[in-house]
Order: sequence, then structure tokens, then C-alpha cells
Amino acid sequence: MKPRSRIALAALAAIVAGCSRDSPPPAAPAAEDSTVVLMNVAADPTISLSVQFAVGSQNDPPGKEGLAFLTGQMLSDAATESRSLDEILAALYPLAASYGIRVDVERSTFTGRVHRDNLDAYLELFRDALLHPKFAEDDFERVRNDAVNALENTLRYSSDEELGKAALRELVFRGTPYAHPTDGTVAGLKAITLAEVREFYRQHYTRATMQLGLGGGFDTALVARVEAALAALPEGSAAAAPTITPAAIEGRSALLIDKPGADSSISFGFPVAVHRGERDFYALWVANSWLGEHRNSASHLFNVIRETRGLNYGDYSYIEAFPEGGQRNMPPVNVPRRTQLFEVWIRTLPNNQAPFALRAALRELKLLVDNGMTAEQFELTRTFLKKYSLHYAETTAARLGYAVDDGFYRLDGEGHLARFRRTMDELSVEEVNAAIKRYWQYDDLKIAIVTGDAAAMKTLLASDGPTPIEYSNPMPEAIVAEDREIAAFPLALAAERIEVVPVDEAFER
Amino acid sequence: MTTPAKPLLCLVLLASAWLVAAPLSSQEPAAVTPIIPYPTETRTLANGLTVIVVPMPSDGLVAYWTIVRTGSRDEYEPGRSGFAHFFEHMMFRGTQRYPSEVYQRILTTMGADANAFTTDDLTAYHIGLGVADLERVMELESDRFQNLSYAEGAFQTEAGAVYGEYRKSRSEPDFALYERLMGTAFERHPYGHTTLGYENDIAAMPKLYEYSKQFFRRYYRPDNAVVLVVGDVTPANIFTLVEKHYAGWRPGYEAPQIPVEPEQTAERRFDMTFDGQTLPLLWVSYKLPVYDAADRVRVAADLFADLAFGETSEAYRRLVLDEQVVEDLDASASYNRDPGLLDITARIKDPAKVDYVLGVIDATIKQFRDAPPDAKRLADLQKRLRYGFLMGLQTPDAVASRVAYFVARNGNLSGLDRTYATYAAVTPEDVHAAAEQYLRVERRTVGVLRPRQ
Repeated sequence: MKPRSRIALAALAAIVAGCSRDSPPPAAPAAEDSTVVLMNVAADPTISLSVQFAVGSQNDPPGKEGLAFLTGQMLSDAATESRSLDEILAALYPLAASYGIRVDVERSTFTGRVHRDNLDAYLELFRDALLHPKFAEDDFERVRNDAVNALENTLRYSSDEELGKAALRELVFRGTPYAHPTDGTVAGLKAITLAEVREFYRQHYTRATMQLGLGGGFDTALVARVEAALAALPEGSAAAAPTITPAAIEGRSALLIDKPGADSSISFGFPVAVHRGERDFYALWVANSWLGEHRNSASHLFNVIRETRGLNYGDYSYIEAFPEGGQRNMPPVNVPRRTQLFEVWIRTLPNNQAPFALRAALRELKLLVDNGMTAEQFELTRTFLKKYSLHYAETTAARLGYAVDDGFYRLDGEGHLARFRRTMDELSVEEVNAAIKRYWQYDDLKIAIVTGDAAAMKTLLASDGPTPIEYSNPMPEAIVAEDREIAAFPLALAAERIEVVPVDEAFER
Repeated sequence: MTTPAKPLLCLVLLASAWLVAAPLSSQEPAAVTPIIPYPTETRTLANGLTVIVVPMPSDGLVAYWTIVRTGSRDEYEPGRSGFAHFFEHMMFRGTQRYPSEVYQRILTTMGADANAFTTDDLTAYHIGLGVADLERVMELESDRFQNLSYAEGAFQTEAGAVYGEYRKSRSEPDFALYERLMGTAFERHPYGHTTLGYENDIAAMPKLYEYSKQFFRRYYRPDNAVVLVVGDVTPANIFTLVEKHYAGWRPGYEAPQIPVEPEQTAERRFDMTFDGQTLPLLWVSYKLPVYDAADRVRVAADLFADLAFGETSEAYRRLVLDEQVVEDLDASASYNRDPGLLDITARIKDPAKVDYVLGVIDATIKQFRDAPPDAKRLADLQKRLRYGFLMGLQTPDAVASRVAYFVARNGNLSGLDRTYATYAAVTPEDVHAAAEQYLRVERRTVGVLRPRQ
């Protein structure tokens, strides 16, 4: 029974690479105009509020990684000037309502939802949290302590899969302000002062950077009421987003997180410069859905690695950020980014099967890039997506989240979800295969593996020798033959391109 | 295919996931006002299959759930722990008519969101789909529940995926403590193992092909199942279609011989270490009697949990906000089909403060055992429960997941409706009585997990 949303460890990073084909993403994610995004659903007895600010972990100063996150927590999980936190909790309690914040790389989004019977009482609490945070020392110590613990204990020791995904993003975006977890780093969090949090809030939580959204069964008078309430925020000015030059990826390299006793969790990928709104984005989505639709047994990787061979629990791929993938079935909202990562996620499996599974996924990627989708695969996948995409946003709050994110991607008029469904009808298999060739390849990529025996894994990977696996049951000859190809598929990972980091040093600074 | 092992150190919302109502008490009270604001209808086929329809506006989306009233609770035979969950995986391996790749292809064409999960008390197969595909889904689902067919090779391959699911869970300290806690609290009842099962049993699953067919024959029967349909549908149409597709499913459920857990007469304690860095975790569990939605004192046990340890409690304010010695503090009471636990959990920041935190928990319990709680706090909680339920009815799937556990136990929505009626009727004296009757030291198990170093 939690009246507040706790935002779990989110993933990190995006890079600036303004090379979109059709309509460029914002060169600098400046403030949107002040138009309110409205998602009126009269039959919905609840009301959803969303206030998005053009600030995120990319704005963390060097050495202060986590400043944006802690600032957000001081709004959502701390006292206001007129109410202590326990008074806030007591007031929210009978309403069964909450508010919370997601601090992502590019945007921080303060959201809440309440039954319309309780709107008046709730609005006052929501407004107070956003406009009048107290920035009390004891709250600051608590939320910082929680954030440090989330890195030192939870990320490093409670979820190898999330650790592997975070490690991949750090490896791909290393040297940029996008590399660190949105929650920060251990050293960064410890270096932040309360005065810096207060100043960060003053600088970034302004009307100039704000995008307001309302959803559900509200009446029109509410719009003016909420706008008037938020008018008390300072006017401010939109800060220029950091300019990032991503390091080019040449060949394959790997980061092994050495965690004694662990099984293996694998992620690999590279940046893709294609965004919502661009036709190629939707073409690539079709290819990605066929290759690895998240938590869906239609995923080809799932079928190759899990369904046919029983090696692990699941295998998926992505062309947009998908934080907390282990805890959700559908894509999250409010994680818009200028540059996305193409990413393959191979779920936990025994260390002695990890090289085989990695090879299987790399080989499938190569086959797709070289051969493209067949007409039949394309038709099946786009038919699937036309209906399946309805599940991406089943609730009013989710649809509102998508609509607010449309502002980031400059999608005026026709939003992402509508565009998605329309484009599915228009695409051809040739377009999809051209997009695959344009954005995907298999030679230049980075690999992150959390493993219980990093030294042996490094030796094995660098040797590039065959890594066959054995089954407890007889397999059909076709599978056995394919296994021989997989077991010898070139890894092309020289020893000097394989880095080993002890788990206790991950995300330290 | 997810297996939501009990949420650890983040105990569940009242009236959400994990709620499995027990039978109504023998003295069935008068009907109560339905909590769901839609005109639900229930029918039972001649073969015993229960069908519940919840019509609601949903923009053409429908939730189609098949609930088998078998979970890890039913794994009473030695060496068979985790089998209900494993079998959930096998249900996706196809039939003669619709082999798995054909089944999958049809669902893909529909753009369906299909999955399944297993809990202590049930296994649920759920599909989110467009209403136009509803009859086709019924055709598929009725076929696999009657005619499941798979080869031994596929069975053995799937065992590997199940082991993978265990591997991803065991890296979590919360799971390690939960696994040990249940094994300590329950000496005979199958609640003593998690839904995933013991690792040795998981490793041996590939050898149990013949047993798997027996498992299907025993438990996957219409008289042990409920079909739940929520969304833009008309009950009469659904009943006609269900009759058409499911009437031939032959009954024959064989009730498992679940051992009765002996009365606990002395406190049990254990300490364990975790190979990795973690804050110390404290888990305190008290044995409860079986859930009875009409019994105000038994229902009050869960309200006690929130009043005593929830985010507006004195203990929370002291431990989490003021003294900041605890990062997370949670409590909830079981709604399981058989007698379960009232759990209190804490993630403690300072390893030296474990005993101190336990002392605060004890003092809090004593306070509730000595006197009833504040009436306004109880009234606030009762309002919260009602609005929390209503706000949770956002989508057909959300409605289905909210009611599935009650439906599985009662075969209708009466347990759910009765529970919410009883929530509203609970008095401070009932909460006091629950604390006095259930929160006794001799009924509890205390587990502490610390990092090895």
C-alpha cells in the first residue's frame, strides 16, 4: 500500500546524433510551447496529471551524477514548506492516490492520478509538492541514502539482468553525460549538497521548460485551474541540452562484470539514430518486433534460444529505451531520448552456455541484416503490430504519457501511436529491409556480460574456439546441425578488447 | 510465462495480486452490494466449468482468463515441488489440432497479449485481445485445455526454460530469504516451498514426463476451472459460445491430498547469509487461520497490518522517516486458500540495528494487542480501500487480475463482494481482537538475512 510511486532504477543514457532521415529530432530539447496536452475520457472516473520538465540526468554536472534524480525525489518523496512528509502521506492515504516522478535522461515527469471524487483535496497536495518543496536536510539524507543503496546493493547484487543492461549502456555511451545511470553514481550522489539540489530545482523547474498534460474524466474548468496553479512556477528559460559526440564503435568489444557466484546475463548493442515520427523508425520497429518483441513468444530470438533449446527464460531486442524490462510487459512512457540504442537482451543462463547463446543471437542478427525479412514474416509481423500496439497504451494515463512524449519528438497533429498504426498499413517489406540495412549491422557493437567467472569467460571468448552445448534430451538433426554453426560462429573479440570490472566497482563514479 | 513469486519486501496491496479468498463461512450471510460497478453474470456448465462475465466499456479490448484452481499448494508429493508452474509452461506446447507453432501464429495474427502465471493457489492463463477475435480464442483455449499433447523432447526442453526462471530469481536476496522463511514456517503444508519449487526438484523435472500427463488428468478439469471474460462483451453471447466450445470437456477433478499444517506452538528463528552485498533483511511472519471474508476479525488482520506498519503508521514514521534506520517497511496478511501468514518485513540500513527494529515491531504489536486503534485512521483506511479498488479497474485485464483470486476460490464474486463489505464493517475493536488472537509469539517465525562478509 504505497501512496507514492517509487521510481525503480532506470536505465541510462542517450547520445546526440542528429542524423535522422525525415524530420530531425530536436537539436536541443528546448521547452515545448505552453499548450496543454488534453486526453479527455469522459467515462473514466479518474483524472491523470502529468507535468514534464526539460531536464534529466544529462544535465547532471560532472562529479554530481544523480543531481537530477535527487532533485526529483525531493519533490515526490519529501516534505513541503507547509506539510511534513508524514502529513502528506496521511492526507493522500484516504484518497488512495499518489504522485511520483520519473527522472530520465532527457526529461523529468511529475505525474499523479486520483478519483474525481477526491480531486480538490488531491490537487492541493499535488500543487504543493511541485511548487513548494521544503528541501529539508533529513529528507535529503534519506533519499540520498536510498539512492546510494539502490546502486551499491540493488543494482549490483539484486538483479544481474538490470546490471547487465546498465553496463551495456555505460559501455556504449562512455565519456558522455549520458553514460551514468539516471539515478547517478555512488561517488556523484555522495558529492551532492542540498544547496545544489535547491539550485537545480530553481534553474530547471520552470514554466519555460514545462509541458502540462491532463487525462481522464475532467471538465474543462480544470485546465485553467491547473494552469493557474502552476503559473506560480518561475518563468525561467530553456537550457540548451548538452552536445555529445559519441565515440564511433569499430569492431566488437566487451565488458565483463565479475560477480563471483553469478550465472550469466548478457546484453549487446549499438546506437541507432532513428526516432518516432520518422518512417524508418516504424519500418525498423517491424523488424525489431519480429526479431525480439519484448516478453512475447512471437520473438524470433525467444524461439531460437528458449523455445527450441530451453537455454533460458527469454530473449528480446529493442530500438527504444525500455527501463525496468524485467518488471513490465509493455513499453514505459516518459523516457524520450534523442538517440536510442539497438539492444539485445539474453536473460540469465548458466556460464557454460553463455558463449553459445551470445553466438546464437549474433548469428540471428547477421542473418536478418544479410537476408532481410521474408514477405511472409513481414506480413505476419505488421498484422500482429496493428493490433498488439493497442496494448502499448491501454489506460488513460499511458495514452496521456505517449501524448506528452509526442511533444519531445515534435509530433504535431498526428501522434506516435496513431502514426504507428497508419504506417503499418503503408509499409512494404522492401522498406523494412532497407531500414534494416541502413541502421543495423553486426560487426561494430558492444557486449556486456555479468558472469560468475569473468577470467575464464574472457579466455573463452578471446580464443574464439567452438563452444558447443549438450542437451539432456535428443534434439532433431536440423537443430544439431544448426548448433554446430552457432557453436563456431565468429565472436571476433580480441583479448585486449575485453574489459573486466569487479562488481563492487560498477557505477562507483 | 511469469511466476509472480510473492513480492518480497514489498508486500502486496490489499485486495490486489495474492488475494485468494477462502470459502464463505458456513453461516452464509445475506448478499452484499457488489463492489464492481458493472453488471456481472455467472453461469456453471453441466461439466462444472464456471463462467463469469464482466461487461465493461473497453474500446473493443477483452480480457480472456482461464483460471485453474491448482497452484504450488497442490504439490503435496515429494519431489514434485514447482510442478504446477512447470506445467503452466507446458500448456503452451500445443495440441494435435493446433501444434504450438500454429497456436502461436494464430495469436500473433490477432496481436494478442498472451501469458500465464502461477501462484500458491492457482494457475492463470490470460489473453488480451480484440473482441472480434473472441470466438477464435475460445476455440483455441478450449482445445488446449482438453487436448494438450506434447512429446517428451519438448517437455525436457521446457524444463530448461523453467530452470532459467529460477536462476534469474535466485540472485535476489529477497527471494533467498522468502524461500527459507516459507520452508521454516511450514513444516508439512506445501506452502513451505515457493511457486518455483526446490532447485533439486527443478533439476529433476526433465525425468517427469509421465507424471506430467497424470498432473494434467488430475487437475486440468472443468470442475476445477473458471473462465473469466471482461470487456466489451454481452454475457448471453459469451455463455452461448462457452457452451459450444467447452461442453465436451470431461469432468474428473481429483482433489489433492494436502497435508494439514500442525498448530505452531513455539517461536521459530533463523539467521542466514547471502553471497553478495545487501542490506540486512528482517522477515517476521505470524500464522493466521484460514481466510473467511465474513469474519470481521480475520479480515481485520490485513487492516491491522496496514494500520500498524503502513506508510501512515507510527512505526513507519519512526523507523523510516525520523530515525531513518529502515529503508522499506511493509506488512500484509494472507488471503490464501489454506491458512497462511501475516508478514512484516523490513530492509534495515544499519546491520547493528536488526534487534532494535524487531523491538519496535514487537512494541507496535503490543500496542495493538493492548488497545484498539484510532477510529479515524481506520475510517481513512476503509475509504482508501474502496477508492483503491475503484481506481484499479482501468482495463479489462486489470479488472480480471483484481477478481481472479476470489473467483478461483469461490467460483463467483461473492468472496470479493463480501470482503469489501466486511472491510467497511470492521471496527477498531475487531482490529484489536485480530492482534490479540493472531499476533502471538508462539505463532511466529523470524528470519534475518545478512551479507556474508
